[in-house]
Amino acid sequence: MAVGHATSGRLIAVEGTCGPDLAAAAKRLSRGLGDGASGVSAWDASGIFTELAAADPQVARPTTRTLTLLYAADLAFRLRWQIRPALDAGHAVVAAPYVQSAMALGSAAGLPTRWLIELFRFAPAPHVCYRVRERRLRSSVQAASGYLEFFCGAIDAGGDPRQSARLRTRAIDFLDRLERRRRCTPLTA
Amino acid sequence: MSRRDGQRWRELLNRREATRGLLVAFEGPDGSGKTTQRKLFKTWLKAEGREVSTTKWNSSPLIKPLVKARKQARALSPEEFCLLHAADFRYRLETEILPALWAGTTVVADRWLFTALARDAARGLAFDWVLQVYAPIFWPDIVFYFSVAPETSSTRIAATRTPKFYEAGQDITGLDDPFTSYRTFISRVIREYDELAVVFRFVTIDAEQSINEQHRQIRERFQQAERRPWPEWNVEALVDWLSRHPEAPRVVARA
Repeated sequence: MAVGHATSGRLIAVEGTCGPDLAAAAKRLSRGLGDGASGVSAWDASGIFTELAAADPQVARPTTRTLTLLYAADLAFRLRWQIRPALDAGHAVVAAPYVQSAMALGSAAGLPTRWLIELFRFAPAPHVCYRVRERRLRSSVQAASGYLEFFCGAIDAGGDPRQSARLRTRAIDFLDRLERRRRCTPLTA
Repeated sequence: MSRRDGQRWRELLNRREATRGLLVAFEGPDGSGKTTQRKLFKTWLKAEGREVSTTKWNSSPLIKPLVKARKQARALSPEEFCLLHAADFRYRLETEILPALWAGTTVVADRWLFTALARDAARGLAFDWVLQVYAPIFWPDIVFYFSVAPETSSTRIAATRTPKFYEAGQDITGLDDPFTSYRTFISRVIREYDELAVVFRFVTIDAEQSINEQHRQIRERFQQAERRPWPEWNVEALVDWLSRHPEAPRVVARA
C-alpha cells in the first residue's frame, strides 16, 4: 500500500462540500496548469454511485459507514486508473474531491476520525491541497452532482431532511479547521 | 459520545443480553464443506425450536450487484476487492444481522469477516489495514473453522467446476490456468486461516472427516459452549448501530 510519492508528477487535491463548485474549480485549475496537466480525477469515476443511485428503491439505504467504504473503493479505482498513471508519467493531476472531503463528511456523520484516517491511508498525500469555499448553501443541487449531495440524499431518504443541513454545516466546520491549520489553501469557487 | 450516553447504551445492552440471538459463523476455504454443514446445523437448530436466519458472504441486495459486475469484468484491484466486500459486510451487519440478533434470532453466517482477513492478506494487503477497514469489529459467539488441506480443497473444487477468476486468485498469481492458480492461491489462504484459527480461538472441525461425524461434533461443541455476554469489542459496533436506530430500544421494552 503506497503512501508516499516515488514519481515526478504532482497530485493536487481540491476539497469542498459543493459538488458543482468543486467540479468547476478543478476544471479551471487543470486548464491553468497547461500541457503539464493530465486532467481531473472526479468522484464516481468507477460508476459505483451511479449504479447505487439506480438500485431498487425498496432496498434499505446504505448507512454512513457503508457509503464511506464505497467512496474509498471509488478512490482506489481513481488512484489505479487516473491518478497514479498520471503521476508516473510526470504529469500534474487534479483530484476533486480527494480524501479530506470524505473525511469531513464521515466525521460530520459521527464516524471516528481515527477510523477515517486508517481507512484512507492507502491514498498518497497530495503535494498541494486546495479548499473551495462555499459561496452559499444551495439546497436545490441534484444528488448526482457531487459526493456530499449524494451522501445527504441517501441520508435524507431515511426521513429527516434537516439532517443533511446539519451534516453540511459540520463538514464545512471540519474543512474550516483544516484551513486554519494551514493544511489546505482556500480557492474561490 | 458523552459518558452518560455510553452508560445508557451499556445498560440497554445488559438488559438485552438474556434474550439476544446468538451469532454462529462457519468459516473455511472453498471446498471445505462448510455450506453443507451450515445447512444441517440450521435444520437442527430449527428442530430445536429456535428462530434462525442465515447470512451469506457478499449477498446484500445493494452491494452484491456492484461486486458481481466488477468481478465479471475482472476490474478489481486487491484494495477495491477488499473495500467493496467490506461495504457489503457492513451493510448486511447493520441492516440484517444486528436487527436479527437484537430481536432474538440466531444468525448462522456462511463466512464472516475472517474470510476477508484470510483472502485479503493472501492478496498481499496489510493485515492491520484490513482489520481497520472492518472496524468496529463484531465478533461471533462461536466460529466453526472447517480445516482441509489445500490438495483436498483443490480436488473437491476441480471435481465440480472451474474456479472463477478471483476465486482462483488469478488477479495476483498471474497464472492463466485457473486450476493451477487455485492451488497456489488456496494454499496461501489456508495458511492465513490456520493462523487466524489459533489467534481467534476458532472451533476447528477436521473437514476431511465424514459429513455425519462433522455434524455430530458441531452439535456437541455448540451445546457445550457457554452463553457469554456480548464480547467487549462488540460494544462499539452495537452502540454505533443503536445510536443510528432510535427505534431499537423499543424492541427491548417490548421484550
